Amino acid sequence: MSGTGIVEARDVVLSFGETPALRGASIAAAPGEILAIMGPSGSGKSTLLHCLAGILVPASGEVWFDGSRIDTLAEPQRSALRRDRFGFVFQFGQLVPELTAEENVALPLLLGGARRSAALHETHAWFQRLGLDGLEQRRSGELSGGQAQRVALARGLVAGPTVLFADEPTGSLDSLTGEQVMDLLVATARERGITVILVTHEPRVAAYADREVIVRDGRVNAHLRDRVRS
Amino acid sequence: MISFGLRLAVAGGREAVVRLVTIAAAVALGVGLLLATLAGINAVNAQSARYAWLNTGVAPGQSSATRDPLEWLLRGDYFAGQTIGRLDVAATGPDSPVPPGIPHLPGPGEFYASPALSTLLHSTPAAQLADRFPGHQIGTIGPAALPAPNSLIIVIGHTRGELSQLPDTRKVTSIATVAPSDCANCMVGTRAAGMDLILGVVTGALLFPLLIFIGAATRLSATRREQRFAAMRLLGATPRQISVISAVESTTAAVAGTAVGFALFFLFRHPLAAIPFTGEPFYPGDLSLGVVDVLLVALGVPAAAALAARIALRRVRISPLGVTRRVTPRPPRAYRLIPLVLGLGELAYFVVGRRPTSSLGQVAVFLPGFLVMMAGLVVAGPWLTMVGSRVLARRSSRPATLIAARRLADNPQAGFRAISGLVLALFVTSVAVGVISTIVANRGIHSGGAASTRMTQQFWPDGIVPGAADSGPDAVSADLRSTPGVQSVLVVRKNPAYSGQRGPDQPLPGLISCADLARTPALGHCAAGAAVAAVWPDVAGGGRAQTAARLLQSAPLSAEQLRQLPILSILVDTDGARSTIERARTILEGAYPGSQRPPATDDDVSSDSTRALTGWQQLANVVILASLPIAGCSLAVSVAGGLSERKRPFSLLRLSGVPVRVLRRVVALESAVPLLVAAVVAIGAGFLAAQLFLRAQMDYTLRPPGPAYYLIVLAGIAASLGIIAGTLPLLERITGPETARNE
Repeated sequence: MSGTGIVEARDVVLSFGETPALRGASIAAAPGEILAIMGPSGSGKSTLLHCLAGILVPASGEVWFDGSRIDTLAEPQRSALRRDRFGFVFQFGQLVPELTAEENVALPLLLGGARRSAALHETHAWFQRLGLDGLEQRRSGELSGGQAQRVALARGLVAGPTVLFADEPTGSLDSLTGEQVMDLLVATARERGITVILVTHEPRVAAYADREVIVRDGRVNAHLRDRVRS
Repeated sequence: MISFGLRLAVAGGREAVVRLVTIAAAVALGVGLLLATLAGINAVNAQSARYAWLNTGVAPGQSSATRDPLEWLLRGDYFAGQTIGRLDVAATGPDSPVPPGIPHLPGPGEFYASPALSTLLHSTPAAQLADRFPGHQIGTIGPAALPAPNSLIIVIGHTRGELSQLPDTRKVTSIATVAPSDCANCMVGTRAAGMDLILGVVTGALLFPLLIFIGAATRLSATRREQRFAAMRLLGATPRQISVISAVESTTAAVAGTAVGFALFFLFRHPLAAIPFTGEPFYPGDLSLGVVDVLLVALGVPAAAALAARIALRRVRISPLGVTRRVTPRPPRAYRLIPLVLGLGELAYFVVGRRPTSSLGQVAVFLPGFLVMMAGLVVAGPWLTMVGSRVLARRSSRPATLIAARRLADNPQAGFRAISGLVLALFVTSVAVGVISTIVANRGIHSGGAASTRMTQQFWPDGIVPGAADSGPDAVSADLRSTPGVQSVLVVRKNPAYSGQRGPDQPLPGLISCADLARTPALGHCAAGAAVAAVWPDVAGGGRAQTAARLLQSAPLSAEQLRQLPILSILVDTDGARSTIERARTILEGAYPGSQRPPATDDDVSSDSTRALTGWQQLANVVILASLPIAGCSLAVSVAGGLSERKRPFSLLRLSGVPVRVLRRVVALESAVPLLVAAVVAIGAGFLAAQLFLRAQMDYTLRPPGPAYYLIVLAGIAASLGIIAGTLPLLERITGPETARNE
């Protein structure tokens, strides 16, 4: 892999049936960088994120993570990679409705083979850090949108990922709550040196990133801005 | 609005069609079963009514009695384990009443036989059957007089006065028309009321899983349907219009299902008629439906479906902005255990010697106990599910177990509902099979050995004087001994010292020659020097061991004195071949035509109850085999519904790297574990109830059923698990990346 990117896509092409989604997209994120991918609806930004995360496999092109090519890996290896090295935050509906908030957060640790008591102990720190104290036993239906998104953020970070993929993480929240969630996401990522790939169409959210790129018609055709890290 | 609802129901996309077909299939099965039950009740009553005439003389007859009575002697006979009804008649005048099924009374030397007996008479050597019946056949008995198509009945004509010498002959002036169910003195036939009740319980055990299936099918894709209704509300549809659309959808499925259900009933009417659950099969025409039955089902089921749709809709509030549940299910409380404990307590109460003496009293005691236990299992199930799953959720470190246990603990009513039908079906069949197996084991039915090779002709209690009216025993014995396959003949005579008192020092009722006994050493031996020994009429006495080592009580009589005494019974030991037994029976019946009781082996005597028990066993097997796959279908529909509800969180979990095998395990744990646990609990509760009943009623201890029962249960559970496994590919499909992208 060339350059200093922890995660990189090169000339990635992918179609859904007859509809092209990516037509030679290339992008790289440096370790610890917060990168915002912007673009209009249907431009291919979520598809690009899914290719970078090993969820989708491009028809051509390459995807690299931490010096290894991942688009050639089999699904079980890509699943293991997503489980062990990546974290995810989506727009909505990501919590398992039957589980309590703390069990939802503990889920990646349990999947990694942790004991229940140890996993739940680990989650407590995240509840304090993200201002979720007292909500441990609530179900997703008993949480507000902002609270549910913070629980999802805790779940995305609890296993100590190298890269956090966030697809419209504030898309279902009002602006104030969205800002709170983004403040927490960015602060935690900076504190732990986590790379964040953030898909959004909101400039206010993209403003949290170190760098913004725009995707249009399946190509990354503009680096809008490089921001000096604070 | 109705036509719009109709269009939505049939042209609302693949999901709507699947839902429609599933509901229609469930309703069709339910309607088919309901019709089978109604027709079964009608069939039991029709069959019971055709037994009426056989109770002539003991049951009330028609009011227009004749002046020329009919001499009437009804007796039982056996052939190859089947019972033959033998009626000897003699007219005393032109107005003597004629039994149903024949155009006129047979004259002396004539007889009518049922079609099944006619076939036997033609296909069996005369020495084995036809020689028992004097005269020649002049016709067949019509169905009006035959309880079942395979009934073996014969009506034999005699001269006036010929029968009146025989002790059990009655003079009847009319033929009985009252069904055995409505006649306290009747000896022949089935009690329709009891049969209907049992049929009702069995049908309940089958119908309940079907109702659960219909309910599960109705809830299929409910969320998407409700969202569609919300969208219509946004466009201006009133709640009433939504209600009409919903009712039209449900009613369409119910009408289609009802039509298919009627077709299924008529398709399976012949095989159903062959199930002998009263001990005898039915004529297919017996399984008939009255106008009221047809109207009740054809109109009632769709109406009930429309009502159910309305009630289901009342539980959600559909506003233009979306759908809200009106109630969140509250966790079940421990008081749900009360009915189960009450049912068990009620049955246990009668174990300690408080059994009612009358049959009606026993039914009044045990049936409510079983019904309360059945209700108790259904009521307590959600609480037990909740407690079990909460314990599991608190302790589990495995994500799949945690998710499955939490889902069950969250809504145990829904989790248990899918398997409650199975619980009831397994409970009912386990009780039935447990009771039947124990009765069969204790009564030695089909025990083989002497029960099927030794035939006894009894003249108990008075005995028969040799040479008075019948052939002498020596000639009969010689005849029997010359029959191929007959191994020994033993004549038991009446003990003049027998007082009717029972006790270790009291003389036994019968006497045998020690010289004869020596030819049948398996029955015991006499004391040295004794000429005569005292025995029971069947030599061994009921339930007593028969061994060569048994020393029989000596009697102070000589062999010559013994020969002067009346005959109490004749025992014929055979090689067990059917032809030998039937030849010997024919010889004995020919020698003693006036005997009220036919010569019989123990297997012959128990053949009626064996047939009835076999019928019940078949019915129990039908319940298991039908209800397990139905329960499996309910589970599959519930699993598919649950997956559909959670496809987004599940697909996002998959995107996050959760292997699909973990999600498969979630689904398997949610459905298969309750299925298996419920099966164990239901079978255990069923056997416990059977044990309590057997202890209280018969002083028996439950015997484990044969391997066939376990095989059938395992086959049914395997089919159910197969159906659940069939939903797993759906999991992989609906949790793919495209779900997360597009939902």
